[in-house]
Amino acid sequence: MTTPTPSATTGRVPPTAPAPPSPGQQTGIPATPASGRGDANAQPPSATSNQGVPGRLGAVRASLRASLAGTPGRLRGLAALTVLATLLFGLAAGQAFRAADGAIVRAAANSDQLVRMQAIQTHVVQADADATNAFLVGGLEPPAQRADYTAAITAASQLIAEAAQHQPADGPALGALNQELVAYASEIEQARANNRQALPVGAQYLKDASANLRSDALPLLKNLVDANNQRVAEEFDNAGRASLWLVVAGLLTLLVLVLGLVWLARRTRRYVNVPLAAAALVVLVTLVLGALGLTRVSSRVDTARDGVYAATLSTAQARIAAFDAKSNESLTLIARGSGSAFEKAWQASSAAVTAELSELGQNPASSGLAPLPWSDYTSVHKQIRTLDDSGDWEGAVELATGTGHGTSNAAFGSFNTSSREQLAGLSDQTAQQLDQARRWLPLGGALGVLAGVLAALCAWWGVSLRLEEYR
Amino acid sequence: MSRRRPRTRAVLAVLAASLLAAACSTAGVYESTPLPTHRSAPAPSTTASAPSPAPSGSDVVSANCLQSYAPPATLPAPGHMPSGSYMSTIARRGRLIAGVSADTLLLGSRNPVSGRIEGFDIDMLHAVSQALFNDPNRIEIRVITAAQRLPVLKDGSVDIVARNMTITCARWKEIAFSSEYYRSGQKVMVQLGEKTKSGAKITGIQDLVGKKVCAPNGSTSMDKLRTFKGLEPVGADTHTGCLVLFQQGKVDAITGDDTVLAGLAAQDPYAEVVQGPAFTAEPYGLGINQTHIDFVEFVNGVLATMRANGQWTKSYNTWLADALGKAPSPPVAVYGRTP
Repeated sequence: MTTPTPSATTGRVPPTAPAPPSPGQQTGIPATPASGRGDANAQPPSATSNQGVPGRLGAVRASLRASLAGTPGRLRGLAALTVLATLLFGLAAGQAFRAADGAIVRAAANSDQLVRMQAIQTHVVQADADATNAFLVGGLEPPAQRADYTAAITAASQLIAEAAQHQPADGPALGALNQELVAYASEIEQARANNRQALPVGAQYLKDASANLRSDALPLLKNLVDANNQRVAEEFDNAGRASLWLVVAGLLTLLVLVLGLVWLARRTRRYVNVPLAAAALVVLVTLVLGALGLTRVSSRVDTARDGVYAATLSTAQARIAAFDAKSNESLTLIARGSGSAFEKAWQASSAAVTAELSELGQNPASSGLAPLPWSDYTSVHKQIRTLDDSGDWEGAVELATGTGHGTSNAAFGSFNTSSREQLAGLSDQTAQQLDQARRWLPLGGALGVLAGVLAALCAWWGVSLRLEEYR
Repeated sequence: MSRRRPRTRAVLAVLAASLLAAACSTAGVYESTPLPTHRSAPAPSTTASAPSPAPSGSDVVSANCLQSYAPPATLPAPGHMPSGSYMSTIARRGRLIAGVSADTLLLGSRNPVSGRIEGFDIDMLHAVSQALFNDPNRIEIRVITAAQRLPVLKDGSVDIVARNMTITCARWKEIAFSSEYYRSGQKVMVQLGEKTKSGAKITGIQDLVGKKVCAPNGSTSMDKLRTFKGLEPVGADTHTGCLVLFQQGKVDAITGDDTVLAGLAAQDPYAEVVQGPAFTAEPYGLGINQTHIDFVEFVNGVLATMRANGQWTKSYNTWLADALGKAPSPPVAVYGRTP
């Protein structure tokens, strides 16, 4: 077996010169002056200056260098390079699936957190709607409405604790929110205690509580909702990008293997090293199948994102705006004649509900869902405004606080019930669809790693066949 | 060339390790959710109108411009308002639109049990409604804050304001007033047993140096408060807003008319109105749009009737006698203003 030039090249190396060009130069590692110390013939500086560990290390390095010298040495180097590249490819393929899986799991967890935040916000505005509405009927509030208020506050504070447990990054904001909720609830209790004694200062406590809730607690909740929404979007994007691992590592590994094949063909006068080619084929197949699989997963995730997930968000936002509108309706009447600011706020909230519902209507995920009965409530609200504007405040209050058929509370109640059910359904569907999308990802990751190991075995086998010829 | 291999492998290993580390460490760790940068406290604002010393004692009549338009010799009968008059506009609408307070106990406050707004101020409106419609309850109530009193009259969204409003020369430039229907005076309310900084008993507003004192924005009480040096004025929307700040310990005292303070003290057994003479004179009048002079004359006629037939005294005894003692004789109406 004749090997062309390499020995001539090694012979020309001056002891302190920079590293000469070598067949391995494709790696593009620049030679540094320090590499001069690595020459086998040179006196290692450690031998004179230090007889300890560096000296022994120098001996090991010298023997390593000896084993890599000459054509067999280069073959050993090729074997190591291809094995390492294919093993890394396996890891990268596994990582691609793991990253996609992790991103989807985290997207689902963040989306759960988002739903939790929106539930907190809903409970808080619901509690305020109850408190303000009960106030209109005086110190003797309806027991059902009081129970509803208490349930909403309880649910909100439970969810705050639960949410803090699920996302440490939300901790500080949730802590601040908890303070606001405690302050709100205590102001409402003070309003109640005063109302119960028929003292007008109760109304002021209620107004302050409601105003502070809007100025302090709702901005916090908005930040929490925005931050989690952002995190969900980030993870959805990460899930889509996960295949980059596979593609980049796959292409680099293919490059290494092809270069290895070319080098072998030149040095050994055999056109194809079959096992090494098989390794390249394994990498190629894994790359193509993996990329296809991940693209499919990513498209399923996108479907869920634009479908059920978007519908969940719309429904939740519609509910929040709806309860806000209901609070403002009561505040309009409490302000008695000076409620135009609250009526403007009602208009804005109602417009927000309508916008969310129309977005929901265009969402394919909402086909088959009955439209939410928001307009039933708005028509009752219009009647209330007409009565109040024509001077019949008592009539307006009766319509706003009654519970019988055709009252504001009845119409709003049916919107509340149906939107709550729809939200629960959509939220479950989101979780399900995301879960289905990631079902095969752990298996894919394992197969990717196995493909890497298989390719590494093939590469080792292929190069060692040539190496055998030197024994 | 043998030097290259270990280096390449080391580089690859480092690359792989860093990729894996990056993949494992950053996943699922997020920046903290931001807190809102601007967190608004229930701001006790101190943005009130510029200070202007309030008159007192015998100067009140001239300094406060108590002169109003003289009433007609006979009032038109209910339901027969002269055509073209502002009263006929109200009659056509079918109800009197009035700006009132819903939280000034005794003068105008919502009874939480009945839901109705009632008080001494409101009784004046019932009398006007009676004279217009022969029905005391044809009133559409608009609840307004102290600062809204002039704006709602000027923009015509209410016919009349009955909200413990002091007649002043400055306000006469913007609106018209009825004749005086009550003479109040400004006092201070403090925590029961409150002492001055040196531990002495508090006898008046001059003893509140270094303390926070609350008054409604846009009120004569706030104007007067700002003329006292060394105490810290704090504004709120209404006197009840001041009471909330007082109960929350955010202010040490409240200043306002004795009637209003009596209503606040009635809601809080741990508050007391500092006894002693009032440091201002606050003649109350009903506010009406400047252009509706015929309506001012009509209302003055209604008030004159109330003073004469004992209705004024009856109403005083209903609302104010418990807190302020037996009814004095009603304030004397001063006329003579010409358009």
